[in-house]
Amino acid sequence: MAAPLIDARALSRRFGTVMALDGFTVSIASGITGLVGANGAGKSTFIRILLGLVEPSSGEVSLLGQDVRRSADAIRALVGYMPEHDCLPPDMSGAEFTTFMGRLSGLPAHVARERSAEVLRHVGLFEERYRPIGTYSTGMAQRVKLAQALVHDPRVLILDEPTNGLDPAGREEMLGLIRRTGREFGLSVLLSSHLLGELERICDGIVQMDRGRLVRAESMDELTGETGDLLVEVDGDLPRFVTALRARVQGVAEVQVERQWVRVQMGDAPKSVNATERVHDAVRDAVVEADVGLLRMERRRARLDDLFRESTPATGAVS
Amino acid sequence: MSSSTIHNLGYRRYDGVREGWTGAWQALVWQGFRSMFGLGRGLRAKAIPAFVIAMVLLPCLGTVVAVGASNGQQVIPYGLLIGSQLLLLALFTAAQVPEVLCRDRQHRVLPLLLTRALSPRQYALARLSAVWAAMWLVATVPLLVLYVGELAIATDPAARFAEIGPRLWPVLLCGTLTAWVIGSLAAMMASLTARRGYASMLVVGLFLAAAAVTTGADDLAAMPDVVREFLDPLRALRTMAMLLFGETTRAMEVNPPPPVMVFVLVFCGLGAVASLIAARRLERVDA
Repeated sequence: MAAPLIDARALSRRFGTVMALDGFTVSIASGITGLVGANGAGKSTFIRILLGLVEPSSGEVSLLGQDVRRSADAIRALVGYMPEHDCLPPDMSGAEFTTFMGRLSGLPAHVARERSAEVLRHVGLFEERYRPIGTYSTGMAQRVKLAQALVHDPRVLILDEPTNGLDPAGREEMLGLIRRTGREFGLSVLLSSHLLGELERICDGIVQMDRGRLVRAESMDELTGETGDLLVEVDGDLPRFVTALRARVQGVAEVQVERQWVRVQMGDAPKSVNATERVHDAVRDAVVEADVGLLRMERRRARLDDLFRESTPATGAVS
Repeated sequence: MSSSTIHNLGYRRYDGVREGWTGAWQALVWQGFRSMFGLGRGLRAKAIPAFVIAMVLLPCLGTVVAVGASNGQQVIPYGLLIGSQLLLLALFTAAQVPEVLCRDRQHRVLPLLLTRALSPRQYALARLSAVWAAMWLVATVPLLVLYVGELAIATDPAARFAEIGPRLWPVLLCGTLTAWVIGSLAAMMASLTARRGYASMLVVGLFLAAAAVTTGADDLAAMPDVVREFLDPLRALRTMAMLLFGETTRAMEVNPPPPVMVFVLVFCGLGAVASLIAARRLERVDA
């Protein structure tokens, strides 16, 4: 069996009286993994330990089978890091900075120059690569940060809030780049973000932290599987349809209106084939009775937002 | 019409040689060295280095020409010339050392740099090495210009070299110690803050304060001469340069300074302490 990408065992880190990580244990597989949690959950501390910037107080952690503390140099060649905060020198050009970062990762000078041009093309900055970074837009600066993380051909990318400060279009482009990096380039990505919708779209798995501990580590399929609820969209007299439907599913399911959608919650009733078929039949009959058009009927999938709202205590609401 | 085509080769893996921390260290030193002279930057960044280099070289070239025109009647005053240029070297460090030592912290690049093949100590030593190397060049080249110029204007350069050949060692020692002391003191002050402007003020402040204190101390009869001699590093460097090249002033004749070996030892120690403080400050990472 292949070694996990990241394997942490009882990892703890104390800063004075604050326990940033408290016996954190997790095993993360290759692919694109989202790291979520409220502010102060311990995400940044975990990332800093992986990068060798902070020593753990106790516990063990390995990356690609290598102990982070004992093989720090080897691990640094395997990891590309894109920080959340501004970290770009404004008077250097994109090409100069990524080449410099390649050199700092141990690449020979000519290789660093070649790879700098390549990764800047991959992130869509080839034309602007000789402009000073200080003249770049926020989106371009984020791309340079991604390029410098890629320049030394790491096996793992650690991205801290990569869409921070981007407008919706820029966010889409950055997510596309990250997806491409993970799927086409074959790199594993650990992605820290507060934006659960983004993670839901591109991640293979999610690790949720709270107060330095693991809350859950599951694949996206497990997290966002079908809930058994039904979503129905009709064209016509919606209140009449709802009334008709409520009368038919009484005792089996609850009917709620969510804007243009009607949500049929199965409640505690057994989600058997029979029960589901009864609800389907009830929808069909209610459509006929209310004389509305049935536009769409689908099984509702769980969303990360809902799951985290349920599992995160009031102090740690994940926005 | 151009027939060139851009081929997207896709993402390519790299399985070649990695130079490790030595390559990273060299890159950091070279980048810092270039920053000391504003190379690879706009004209504004080059203004002060260019001004200082011109101002330290022109008097040396002028002296060589003047001595050549006098057919060897005049002697080149190495110590006096380098002594008069020390303030310019201090100005150079005030402007350029913060460029190298503060920018990574001011723009928060440092935590990112330390995720690569470098430890905090290696980073600090690389940055300080860049400062020392640039300072060595600026402090030693004028003396070398005088030395080579003296050989070039001689009617018999070979005979002149046999005569002044050993003077190369004082030239190198003077340039090296000047770079070591001024560079290290400037690095120590610049390492105290991440803001370039403040760092420049701190460097200038140190040298101005030392000069002011020494002027005041001249009136204190109770202060031992040795202590007074070393209160102002620039004045002490000037005295050492005069001693190294066998030159003297009226003040030195009236009040003889300590032997040159004392200057060498004190400057070695002072530079080491300042460098150590600077290195310790630069190693600190608030990741």
